[in-house]
Amino acid sequence: MKSFGKSLNQYLALIILIVIVVVGANMLYPGATSIDNIYSMSTFGVEIGLIALGMTLIIMAGGGGIDLSVGAIYALTQIIAAYLMAEGVNMWAAVGIAILSGVFMGFVNGYMVTKLRIPAIIATLATMYVFNGLALLISNGVNIAGMPEEFAIFGQGVMFGNIPFQFIAIYLPALIIIGYLLSRSLFGYQLYLTGTNDASAKLAGINTDRVRLITYMLTGLLCAIAGIIGSSRLLTARPDAGDIMNLQAVTIAVLGGASIFGGRGTVIGTFLSTIVITLLAYICNLININAVMQTGAIGIILIVITLGQNNFGGLKRLKSVFLARKAV
Amino acid sequence: MSQTTAATRSGSMESLKHSFLMKYEFILFVLIALIVLFLSITTDGNFWNQGNLSSVLVSVSIVSIAAVGATLVIITSGIDISAGSVLGLTATVVALGGQHGLPLWLIIVSALATGCIAGFINGYLIAVHKVPAIIVTLGTLSIWRSAVFMLLGGSWGTDIPMEFSEWFIMTKLAGVPLIFWLVIVLVLVSGYMMNNRKWGRYIYALGNNEEATVFAGLPTKRLLVFIYVIAGLLVAVSALVSLGQSPIVQSSSGQGFELSVIAAVVIGGASISGGRGSIMGAFLGAILVELVRNAVILLHIQPFWTGVVMGVMIIIAVLVSLSRDKGGAN
Repeated sequence: MKSFGKSLNQYLALIILIVIVVVGANMLYPGATSIDNIYSMSTFGVEIGLIALGMTLIIMAGGGGIDLSVGAIYALTQIIAAYLMAEGVNMWAAVGIAILSGVFMGFVNGYMVTKLRIPAIIATLATMYVFNGLALLISNGVNIAGMPEEFAIFGQGVMFGNIPFQFIAIYLPALIIIGYLLSRSLFGYQLYLTGTNDASAKLAGINTDRVRLITYMLTGLLCAIAGIIGSSRLLTARPDAGDIMNLQAVTIAVLGGASIFGGRGTVIGTFLSTIVITLLAYICNLININAVMQTGAIGIILIVITLGQNNFGGLKRLKSVFLARKAV
Repeated sequence: MSQTTAATRSGSMESLKHSFLMKYEFILFVLIALIVLFLSITTDGNFWNQGNLSSVLVSVSIVSIAAVGATLVIITSGIDISAGSVLGLTATVVALGGQHGLPLWLIIVSALATGCIAGFINGYLIAVHKVPAIIVTLGTLSIWRSAVFMLLGGSWGTDIPMEFSEWFIMTKLAGVPLIFWLVIVLVLVSGYMMNNRKWGRYIYALGNNEEATVFAGLPTKRLLVFIYVIAGLLVAVSALVSLGQSPIVQSSSGQGFELSVIAAVVIGGASISGGRGSIMGAFLGAILVELVRNAVILLHIQPFWTGVVMGVMIIIAVLVSLSRDKGGAN
């Protein structure tokens, strides 16, 4: 949709980054990227990967869009599902209700941002605390275990030998559907236009509020699915799960080429940067680097990437200002 | 001719806005009075217990000091969600200084310097490199948190100089901790500066229309960096006071502090899209936030409600402030 060559460059850069990380990892820890490790990496990557897809859509839609509550939705939905199952509700019904409630949480965010005009930062910061608080309230602040055995399929199942179920049956389809939505559908076209230029999108008859609302609802949906997978993987729902997922998801989206000013971003870019971040996190675990330190490292990556993006963008803007002055 | 009418109109707009703010601050004041009344009745006087009252006032002070800086940041349409981590980092620096037996003045200087440096990094990236404030401070939030973790190494910092507690909290004037009086002075002075001094007006101008301030020849970038440095410095002061209240540093120290601060500023009537906000409002907002927190404790409500209540309060405050925007436009 956008100039294809530019995205190709972005992909190439990300692939080179992946190669560097893989080589570095194997130097630090021989066998870091053995096939077994790659399978278990994909287990971890699926959850944050799904959430990052949603974050990419929100950021792409521009207007200062961001969702800081993704980790809280991830936690609250898994607590809801686990709570219902512990109360004896049928597994599929519990999962269905949890996913619907995730969509509803996304709707709340989107409604506040688009209809009530609350800046996304504040709206989702507030809901982050509300959803986290609710997760703590429902669970009384402790983990909920005791799901039925079948529940393990979402996070522990395998397909075609040893490939995680959630990677093949959930993540790849989600990737393809959202990729299709972005590059082939009317919605994708509207989304790019909304993010690129809000005013002209409105003039073109696009309901930009609706487009943005949908991105928040899709994100809620994806967070809920990730929450189900996460609690199934451990057969435990944690009210404090996902506390740094907002940082990770924003970093993945931005590293994948989504511009915080809107209008730019691709599914392939987000997919590749999900690989980068997952690899980094997994390797940190292998060589015993603490999770808090990983968070710090991700923070640095986030700032450096945005800085790089901005400086390229800045050059271009400077050029256009220069040309405009000349024209005057 | 048309120019003069425009000028008078903008003048009356200004006074209209001013009266709006005054009215809003009055509403906050009434709300606070109502909560205090409610707590006095429902807690059998536990609220007025000397210990409880003093601890509420100190908590209000801690939030208010940082909220003064956050108000400036939010007026410029920025945001700082790294305040909690900067508070943790400053507290860690103090603990490490105490552990190594540094003299008190050096501990204080390095604590304040920590705040300034953290603020400078935020401000530099935001003002000079135009990285969105939310991205920068989301990044520094996690960077400083892992710095705290690295510096503490999983243990607790307990070598906190007793002076912070002695100066700010044990010293009492008319039964009220000294720090609360200092905060009142800080609020009045900085409020006066924001409304009546050149630099204060520049900050409002920056929030209303950044481009215009550039064209007007103001040192916009330097001003913006300066604001973030001040914000960092004030968070460091908050950290010192909070160490006076509880002289212990953990790797989670200060987590969630940014929410209290942002809640105070937003409840105080600041507009997150910039250009509007008052320090007096933020102070009243801090009182409201801490009263609610105290109510949760006194009424034996599950502490998990705090996050929910705070989140809802922020949303309501923003809605009120947005509806006031609409009223002003009409």
